[in-house]
Formats: sequence, structure tokens, C-alpha cells
Amino acid sequence: MSSYFDYFCVNIYTNCAARNDIIHGTCNSMCPQSEQNLREKEGLVHILEVLGSERKLVKCYSRSAADSNMAVPNLLRPYNVLRDTVDYLLLDVTRRVDVPISSVYDFVNDRLRAVRQDMTIQRLPPEQCVNLLEPMIRFYVYFGYKLCEHPLSDYDPVLNKKYLLECIKWFLSCYESVQLWENNAKINEISSFLSNLEINNRYMKKLTCDRELMESLYILCNLGDVHPLYRYFNLPKDIKSNSTVQLSYKIAIAHLKGNYARVCSMLDALCPLTYFAVSVYLPTIQRNALRVMSHAYNSRQLAVPTAVLRQWLWFPSDADVITVCEHYGLQAEGATVRFSKADFKTEVATHEPKKLLLHEETLKMDLENIFTYKIQK
Amino acid sequence: MAMTTGTLNQYIQFVERIYRTGQGTVLSRLLSLRDEHVANRNLRSSDIATLVEGNCVAPLDEIIITHLLCVKALYMQDYMEAYNHQSACVASVVRLLQSQKEENWSLPLMYTVCLDLRLVAQKVEACNPQSNGKIMEKAAESLLACFRVCAADNRSSDYETKRLGMLNLVNQLLKVYFRINKLHLCKPLIRAIDSSPFKEQFPLAQQITYRYFVGRKAMFDSDYRAADEYLSFAFQNCHRKSNKNKRLILTYLVPVKMLLGFMPAKHLLQKYDLLQFWDLVSAVKNGDLRGIDRVMEEHESFFIQAGIYLMVEKLKITAYRNLFRKVYLAENTHQIDIASFQAALQLMGQDDVDSDETQCIVANLIYDGKIKGYISYQHKKVVVSKQNAFPPLSSLY
Repeated sequence: MSSYFDYFCVNIYTNCAARNDIIHGTCNSMCPQSEQNLREKEGLVHILEVLGSERKLVKCYSRSAADSNMAVPNLLRPYNVLRDTVDYLLLDVTRRVDVPISSVYDFVNDRLRAVRQDMTIQRLPPEQCVNLLEPMIRFYVYFGYKLCEHPLSDYDPVLNKKYLLECIKWFLSCYESVQLWENNAKINEISSFLSNLEINNRYMKKLTCDRELMESLYILCNLGDVHPLYRYFNLPKDIKSNSTVQLSYKIAIAHLKGNYARVCSMLDALCPLTYFAVSVYLPTIQRNALRVMSHAYNSRQLAVPTAVLRQWLWFPSDADVITVCEHYGLQAEGATVRFSKADFKTEVATHEPKKLLLHEETLKMDLENIFTYKIQK
Repeated sequence: MAMTTGTLNQYIQFVERIYRTGQGTVLSRLLSLRDEHVANRNLRSSDIATLVEGNCVAPLDEIIITHLLCVKALYMQDYMEAYNHQSACVASVVRLLQSQKEENWSLPLMYTVCLDLRLVAQKVEACNPQSNGKIMEKAAESLLACFRVCAADNRSSDYETKRLGMLNLVNQLLKVYFRINKLHLCKPLIRAIDSSPFKEQFPLAQQITYRYFVGRKAMFDSDYRAADEYLSFAFQNCHRKSNKNKRLILTYLVPVKMLLGFMPAKHLLQKYDLLQFWDLVSAVKNGDLRGIDRVMEEHESFFIQAGIYLMVEKLKITAYRNLFRKVYLAENTHQIDIASFQAALQLMGQDDVDSDETQCIVANLIYDGKIKGYISYQHKKVVVSKQNAFPPLSSLY
């Protein structure tokens, strides 16, 4: 949360004082020359920064310490360089297959943190921040799903969630400065006009900025929490009425009321990123549902077919239903599960999320698309 | 002496005398933006600073200068300028408090300048909507500076400690945080008061304000039992003539009570002009889900502004219970078909609810103890207890 907080404090300050003490970065490559020299010399070049004979270094994240001055213009990258850096990291580096995917994640995450640090130090205006943060949010949501089956030593879901929330809250707070936003409509127009003029556009697809998708993700990434819903109530009408935002709100409300049947029946309609956001939350939904059912279907004689549970609670297979039920101490016999409120173990940890590959195939999403698609308006 | 006509010099001398004799309440009035001396033209001289300086003891001189500059700016309708002067005034009062060891007679002055700061900040916000709470947030920082001085005064004896001023400041801060919607900042303040040894000694009026806000906070965090406790205290102890405040408290207490199974009487809602809730009460009682949707649509902005929209949404669960109870009474049996419940839901406009979801709704009611019984998936029936199948909601919490 730290860089978001810094940014917020700085913003209060700058809105009141004159903005003449702002540092403008002058580093025109993705990595400052001094860092390049140092890392080449010390052998600190990451494997993902080596492209055949060529090297393409990206500025590393380093913690701000009392004795180091980070506010040096030639170490900071201006907006357009940061924008290219994010483009490069998300659209090029993530495609590398010669390195384990968890290493790709670690590398990109570290470099994105450095980007956010440069944004904070230079106090970039909100209309620039949103364009840089939006793809980062997609990155954290996508990899949160992609790596959910990896062991803790490879990937830490708690840290991922922390970075995700940092970006998402920062992104949303940018939209709260209402007045700035009116100007931004114009800025967007100009920038899209300029990018259309760009002749040697390296990428077929450009990273976009989709506020409706982000508002939906904010709701779905915090399903147990009521505060995103309070935010939803006060959104402008046109955003509130967007179909994806509405669907996310409906899922959150159904979840609030414990209506697991309705939550799961709506998952089909989600777009890929919103689906990824919910799917890491699915174990909690399933756990709560099984706990409720162990009271409601409590019986020595009666049982519920596994196939029904699979369908109700969005399990990938009957075998998964049995594994998860047994995890919580419930008895599964053949094709049925016997519910008993005495058997349900409330103290065991929530089971691990699973990637639902079947569904992923139907999404037919390649990486580039994940980072660039827009939801229906 | 008539403070509305005296000269600047007379005013300074008078303030100084009151200060030297330690009359906190009178001093606070003399430095309030809401006192009649503010109308005195003589106090709006062109060169306040030089006239006061050297003419008065420190740090009182700074307090007087900033106060009068603030008054002047208010007359010029330059609210931002007024805010800056009032903010400086609070900072001077902080220095005054710090210099006064083992005495707390100046607390009323602190209350007044802090309240005035908040009011001026509100005025600035109203005139500059694009500031979006930033000025209120800055005002909160000034209030926190006062709060720190008070909270740190733990060496003085119980009757002269500045810690007695904490609750007044906390209430001011809570008002600010609720207004700018930064509820997460309330937690440390609430903790400070709840762990204070003076918790029960603060004036009743302050305790009422405090519990009103803490009750609302508990409501936002979905802790309805705590919300009920705090808001009920506020309502019962609120002065019986302050109808406006009672109405405010009821706006939150009514839905909290409803969620806990207590429905308000019509004459109460009528008395406090809260009839928006009456349609809701009858819809929930009758299990009329379509009616709830209608009320929610009709009073959407009222419910959203009060921050109770989600609670109204949750009242649908109570409505489900009441609806299913009617089905149970009509069928007069202990084994009810899921299909009967589903048909009742569809009758109430829930056309898209299938058998699976009906079971899910019933399952949640059983889990919450609102229905005693179990579901048989094979027979698609709910088997309810022979005794007290639908226990009264008010007995559950």
C-alpha cells in the first residue's frame, strides 16, 4: 500500500501548493545508464533481459532508503518511457516460454513496481497514472489465476493480492478527482489521435484503459467486503449501467446474502479477467456453501449426489467434489455426499483454488488479448 | 462592555484580562467566529497584525491576530484565506496548550477554534466542489494535532488533565471522516476513547454524539448488534426536544432493528417523518419481495445517501422467511415441497428463481436458525420441526 499512500499524500500537497517543485525524469531508456553499467559489471542481468546477443535491461525496483536520493532526474523515466516499458513488459516479456512462468511473474512484478515508484516520485498526474495502472491490474488478476496452483515457494497469493489492491485503489482514486476528469476526456481524444498517427507502431494491439472493467474487478476482487458496493452506489449512471459492472454487482449481492446457487449460475456470463478474479475466490464460496449445506441437509440417512454439487458449486469434476468434501470432514460415498453439521470441520484451512482449464479453453484468450481486450459498453 | 462597538484596543485588553484570569468559557466566546463581537467593524482594521503585536502577551497575540484575520477574510468572502487563518489560529492554540502544564481551563477555547475550523473548511468545500474533501482532510490534521496534545497529557491529575478534551475532538474528527467518507480512519480514534479511563465521565451530550457515530460505523461494518447497542443509547439519551437529531439516529436505528427482527410502529415513523420505512416494513412483514424492490426503487437515493441500501437488500432474507412461514401455515404440514416455496417466490415476482436456488435460500435460513428443520434432496422437501419451526427473529440475536 505504500506507494499508493505516498502518492495520495503528495497529491494533497500538490493540489494546494504550486506545482513547481516537481521532478521531471530525463532518462530516455527503460533502464538508467548508471544502473546498466553497474548491473553489467556485477553480473546482475536477469535472464529475461537477455535477448540472444542483445541485452534489454529494465530498471529494477529498489526500496527507498534514508541514505539514497532517488529523486534524481536522470534516474527517472518520463511518462512516455514508462508507457513503453509497461507495453514491453506485458506484451513481450510475458510471451517468453524458455523461462518458468513463475520467474516471468517475479521479473515483471519487480519491474512494474519500479515503474510505480517512478510514477510516485515524479507525481504523475492522474490521467497518466490510470493508463499505466490499468494494464498492471490486468497483469495481477491474470497471474493470480494462472499461478494459483503453484506452491507457495514459487508464488505468494497474498503478496499478489496486495499489489493488485495497491494498483486498483490508486487507479480508482485517480477517477475521484472529478474536475481533472473532464479535462481527461480531451486528453484521451488527443492521445488516441496521436497514437493513430504513429507510423511505426510496434504492437498490433495497444494497451487500453477500460474503467468499467476495473470497477468490475474492484467489486469481484473484494467479494466478502461491502465497501466496493458503497462505491458502486455512487458511481456515475453510465458506468453503473454497464452490463459487466452490473453483473459484478449482482454477483456480490448474491454472495452477500449467501446465495451460492445464484453466484455460481452467473459465472458463465463473466468476461475472462472478471472470471479469473472470481475463480481465486471460488474456494471460499464453496467452503461457505458446504458449511451451510452441512446444516441444512444434516441427516444420517439422506445424501446429495456429487453431480448436483459439482453443478451447483462450479466444481470441475465429481472427483474434485469428493476431495473437497473430504477435506472438510464430510463423508462421500460413491456418487453421493452425506452432510452432517457435526462432521463439518470449521477449523481446517480453505482448500486451494484450481484452474478450471475447461472453461479457459472456451474463453480462447491469448495473452495479448488478456492485456488489451475491452468489455462491451 | 459592549463587544459589538468597542475599539480594537479595548477588545485586546478585555481578551487579555480574561486570559490572565483563566476564564476558559468566556475566552472561547471572545475568539469564536459565531459570537456577536464578529460584527464589530472596529475589529476589522486594515492592519491588525501591527496593532496587536507588542500590545498583548504571547502566545495570545498570535491567536488574536489569526482570529481577527479570519473574521476579516470571512467578510471578504474569501473562504480559502479564512481557512488558512483559522488553521493558523488552531496551531497557535496547540502551542498555548503545550505550554500550559497541569491545567486544562483553556479546553473550551480549543473546542471553539476546532469547531470553527471545521465549519470554515465545510464552507470552502461547498464553494469548491473540485477540492473533493481535501480541505476537510487538512482540517482533520489540525484537529489531530490538538488531539495528540490532549492524549499525551497523562501526568496531570484527573481533574486538570487535558485528556478530558479528547472526546470533543474525536467527535469533531468523526464528523469530518464521515463527511469525506474515510471511515477506515475512525478505528484508532474509537480505540483511544474505548480504552480511556474517562470513558464514562465525558459529558452526556458528547457521549451521545460519539455513540451515534460509532453505531453508524458498526452498521457499515455489518456488526448490527453493536450498532443496535450504540444507536439505542444515543436515541434513549438524546434530549427529547431535539427532534432533528432523533430523526437522524432513527434513520439508522430503524433498519438495524428491523434486521434484528423488531419492526417499528407506524406512529413512531410518522412522528419523525420517516414514513419511507413504512412501506418497507409492511413489505418485509408480508414477504412481499416485489414490494421491497418497489420501495428500493422509489427511495433509492434516500437509502443510498443514508448508506443503508445494503441493509434493505439484506432485509429480503427476512422477507423470504416470512413468505415461507406463510406457505408453511397454509399447507399445514411439516413436510413442505420445495416446489411450493418456489411457487410462492414466483408469485412474488422472483420469476428467475429455480428449484436449486430455492433450496439454497432455504438452506441459508436453516443455517441461520430462522427455520428449524432440514432439506431432503431426494424428495425435494423441507422437513420442519414440529415445534417452533419458525422461531421469532427477535429471539435469535
